Amino acid sequence: MQEARVSNGGWVDSAQGVVSREAFVSDDVYRLELARIFEKGWVFLAHETEIPMPGDYVVRTLGKAPVIVIRNRDASIKAMLNSCRHRGAKLCRSDAGNTARFVCPYHGWTYEQDGRLITTTFDAHMPVGMDFSRWGLIPVARLGTYRGLVFGSWDPDAAELETYLGDFRWYIDCFLGRTPAGMQVLAPPHRWRVKANWKIGALNFIGDSQHVFTTHVGPTTLNPLRSSRSGFTKVAERSVQIITTGGHGCTLSYLAPGMSEDAYRTHDPGLTAIYATMLTPAQMHVLHHIRVAVGNVFPNLSFIETQAGSGQKALIVRQWHPLSGSEMEILSWVLAEKEAPEAYKAEVLNSGFHNFGAAGVFEQDDVELWASATQAADNAIAQQYPYSFHTGLPLINSPIPDYEGPGRAFRPVLAEVIQFEFMRHWDRMMTAS
Amino acid sequence: MQDVTQMKTTAPPTPGAKAVDIESYFAIQQFLFFEAGLLDRRDYGNWLTLLTDDVSYRVLAYVNRDADVGPLAYALIDEPVSRLKARVEQVLNAKLTHAENPPTLTRRFISNIVAAAGERAGEYVVSSNLLVYRTRPGLSEGALYAGQRTDILRHVETAWRIARREVRLDQSVLQGSISTLF
Repeated sequence: MQEARVSNGGWVDSAQGVVSREAFVSDDVYRLELARIFEKGWVFLAHETEIPMPGDYVVRTLGKAPVIVIRNRDASIKAMLNSCRHRGAKLCRSDAGNTARFVCPYHGWTYEQDGRLITTTFDAHMPVGMDFSRWGLIPVARLGTYRGLVFGSWDPDAAELETYLGDFRWYIDCFLGRTPAGMQVLAPPHRWRVKANWKIGALNFIGDSQHVFTTHVGPTTLNPLRSSRSGFTKVAERSVQIITTGGHGCTLSYLAPGMSEDAYRTHDPGLTAIYATMLTPAQMHVLHHIRVAVGNVFPNLSFIETQAGSGQKALIVRQWHPLSGSEMEILSWVLAEKEAPEAYKAEVLNSGFHNFGAAGVFEQDDVELWASATQAADNAIAQQYPYSFHTGLPLINSPIPDYEGPGRAFRPVLAEVIQFEFMRHWDRMMTAS
Repeated sequence: MQDVTQMKTTAPPTPGAKAVDIESYFAIQQFLFFEAGLLDRRDYGNWLTLLTDDVSYRVLAYVNRDADVGPLAYALIDEPVSRLKARVEQVLNAKLTHAENPPTLTRRFISNIVAAAGERAGEYVVSSNLLVYRTRPGLSEGALYAGQRTDILRHVETAWRIARREVRLDQSVLQGSISTLF
């Protein structure tokens, strides 16, 4: 019999290549994740194009706290707790909108778009010398934007966002920073709940290459564009998985041997011509040779760019928001270059949510199996036996010596190297003294 | 951001405007109940034959917004019949689906049917309320989906066909994936 946790007090056994099941279901672990990860590090809040005009706002959740993300009159973005300083009612009870200021519906405390308290409505009754500047809305301690992605942190001492993203920015740039105007969100995010632990989603998108032909047997069998399983194995040999400092990672699936070396055949040609103005030759080389890219910014912001099934290549940004140890809310956005023709954007949107939305044909089998794994781990017996990440071990100290991008890169992608590295990073965050 | 409410939508019929006779109403009601039964029994093959080749099939959800502007509808599904056929092919083959193996148990309740003559001869604009209860084997709790349908039904010779379906689900965060819900 094995204990739920390993000897260092954490959940990951680096020597054995195993991870405790408790990490994937326990509400105690979830509460510790809130304190150590979701209230500590940088967490994605919104894409800046969701709030293009002054006064536009969306309400999101940072950790467990409801947060307003609002565009101010000066075009800056602010984020604060969605709760009045007086008696705590929500300032915004909608998911999105536009407002010149925040007026609390409970007793009328009124705030500027940046959270400063303007009036309590009953200012005359306040004690003399009441300092209004100390009673503004509770700001998200740190706010940062990278390539349109707005992140927040509750930790005033968090490192700069660019430092936090580190070398992984090189890969983010390939997908979200490749045109001068940048990407735009094409529609509100699809949102749905799944009774599964959030880390399963993050592991899936950082690079679970083993699941493709078993989990997605339906779409991979039915889609005439798909390669065979043996063809996929050849692709996997060429493809690369990368982990960078900070636990961010991605898997880049290269074109199969003999396949037309034109990864952009479904991109708008006018767009691909301008990628080179923004990216380095090495980044362009990577983009030219990959067919599918998946990745995850630690902890829970994923992306996928793929031509999945019949349809347009699409970029999807995805958040795995934990609701408990055993349930998450998935938010899924479809993006395209601002410079793209409207007809192209419409195709990307349609293809994106057909494959990876709340009704996505790839989605359906993933979430079914994630929920089954989570449910089966929710008992003491199962938790005595850890999950296997063994295939990550043989390669974990043997990165490719000459890969053209930053980080540690590994081939082939069928070994669970960076999934295990994600868990090791998570474990370090969870056990740091 | 794309305001999906600006997309071309079919307005629900107004009672009395172009009221249909009781025989047509009864036939429409029976057709919708029959169709719901096919879906509940997962008889998707026969269900597909009820759709016209040029069917427009859309499922929408809402972003909750303040009352002065109202909820913003956006598409979860917007598909031609070819993609619906591909979905059906996937979920009806036990070897190709995990999401529907074992099958989801589903019960549909169709009510509040209002029908009016459509713009073209033989077409009817029909609104109805939809309540679906789904249970995935292995999960103790089922999921409820409520919404309004606005259909354009076409009477072709002796048969009824669905030329347009728009379902507006009264939800902003879905209880679960709706990939296999028709």
